[in-house]
Amino acid sequence: MELADRIEAFRRTLSEWLRGLYHGMISHPAYEKIEKEAEDAEDAFLLACFPDAFGIPSPVSYYTAELLPYLEDEFEAWERRLWDRGTYLERKGQQYHF
Amino acid sequence: MEPFVFFGGKGGVGKTTVSCAYGLRCARDGHRTLVVSTDPAHSVTDVFDQPFDDTPEPVAGIDRLDAMQLDPEDEVTRHLDEIRQDLSEQVSAAMVNEINRQLEMAHGTPGAYESALFDRFVDVMRNSESYDRVVFDTAPSGSTLRLLGLPDLLESWIDRLMYKRRTSIDLFEKAAIGNNEPRRVMEGDPVLARLEERKEFFDFAGKALQDDAAFFIVLNPDELSLNETERSIADLREKEFAVRGLVANKLTPSPDPDENGRGARYLRDRVETERAHLETIREEFDPPLVAEIGWRVAEVKGDLLSDVADELDIETSVEAPTHV
Repeated sequence: MELADRIEAFRRTLSEWLRGLYHGMISHPAYEKIEKEAEDAEDAFLLACFPDAFGIPSPVSYYTAELLPYLEDEFEAWERRLWDRGTYLERKGQQYHF
Repeated sequence: MEPFVFFGGKGGVGKTTVSCAYGLRCARDGHRTLVVSTDPAHSVTDVFDQPFDDTPEPVAGIDRLDAMQLDPEDEVTRHLDEIRQDLSEQVSAAMVNEINRQLEMAHGTPGAYESALFDRFVDVMRNSESYDRVVFDTAPSGSTLRLLGLPDLLESWIDRLMYKRRTSIDLFEKAAIGNNEPRRVMEGDPVLARLEERKEFFDFAGKALQDDAAFFIVLNPDELSLNETERSIADLREKEFAVRGLVANKLTPSPDPDENGRGARYLRDRVETERAHLETIREEFDPPLVAEIGWRVAEVKGDLLSDVADELDIETSVEAPTHV
C-alpha cells in the first residue's frame, strides 16, 4: 500500500472518530435536550387540551375532543411519559449524562 | 333591526310563545323567518301543532315561516359520532379504545350541552342566507348567558393552545438531527389546522352576536322573574350585548268594576301587585317594556298566537347581517 493511501485511510478513520465523538459528546445530548423540551411542551399542550383526564373539568374539552383522531401518537406517548415519570426532577435529571 | 333576535328569560315565562308570535309577526310583515327553539320540551311543536326536528320546515298555513327544534342531547351525540368516525379512519384499532375513553369523558363534562347548542346556533346563523330573520328561542337564562359568553373565553383558550402546539412543534423541528425527519412538522399539521378552524368559528360567532343580534328578555310580573331579569340585563351588558326590550307575559286580567265576588277580589289584588311590578320595570329598568301580554285561558296557538303577535310592539324591519 502506498504511503498516500495509508495517510488517506488514517485520515478517514480519524475524521469518523472525531465526528462520532462530537456527536456523542456535544450534538446528540444537545438535540436530546431539545427533544425532551419539545416533549415537555407537548405534554403541556395535551394537559391543556384534556385536563378532564385528571378530573379537572374544562370548558374546551368538548372542542378539543375533535383533535383526538389526529393526536394518536402524541396521546399514547403522553400517557406513557406520565406513567413513567416519578417526579419532575427525575425527568429533568434524565437530560444530563453524568 | 338586527337579523338575529334572541328571546331569553327564566324558565316557564313563555319564551317559546313570544318567540313564535314574533316569528309569525315577521312572516306576516313579509320577511322570510325561521324560528329556532332549543327547548327540549318541544314547545314549538305544541304551539304550531306540528312536529319539528333539527332541519327547518315550513309551518303549515303560515307563509314565509319555518321552524326547527334543537335537542342538545342529540347534538352532543352527533358530535360524538362525527369524531368517532374520524377516529376509525385515522387511528389504529389498538389505540381506539384508549382514546374512546378520553372522548366519552370530554362529552360527559358539564359544558357539553351548552357547547353543542352554541355550535348549532352559530351554524344556523352562518347558513341563514335563505332567511331575512332568525328568531332564537333560547334555553332558560342562566345557561343561555354562559352560552353567549363563550366566544370570548374560547377564543383566548384556543389561542393559548395554538401557541403551545407551535412551541412544541418548533422544538421538535429543531431537535431533528441533520437530515433526520422531525417527529412533528409545522407545515400541514392537522391539529393546528383544526384549532385554526375553531378559532375562526368563534371569531365569527363573537362578531355576529355583537353586531347582528338583538336580545329581548321575557318576564312575568312577579318578584322572582324581576330579580332574574335584573341579573340577566347586568350580565348581558357586561358582555356588551344590548338588551333591546322586555316583554311582560301572563298578566292577570282585571275583573269588571261591578263584580265583587271572591274571585273578582282576588283578581283585583293580583292586578294591583302586578301593576306595582310593572311600574318598577318601567322606572328602574333601562330597556323599555315593549309588550304586555295577558293570560290566555287556552293554550296559545292558532288564532290566539296571532292575537299575541298583535300585542307585541317589536319592530320587524330587517337589516342585512354584516358578518355572514
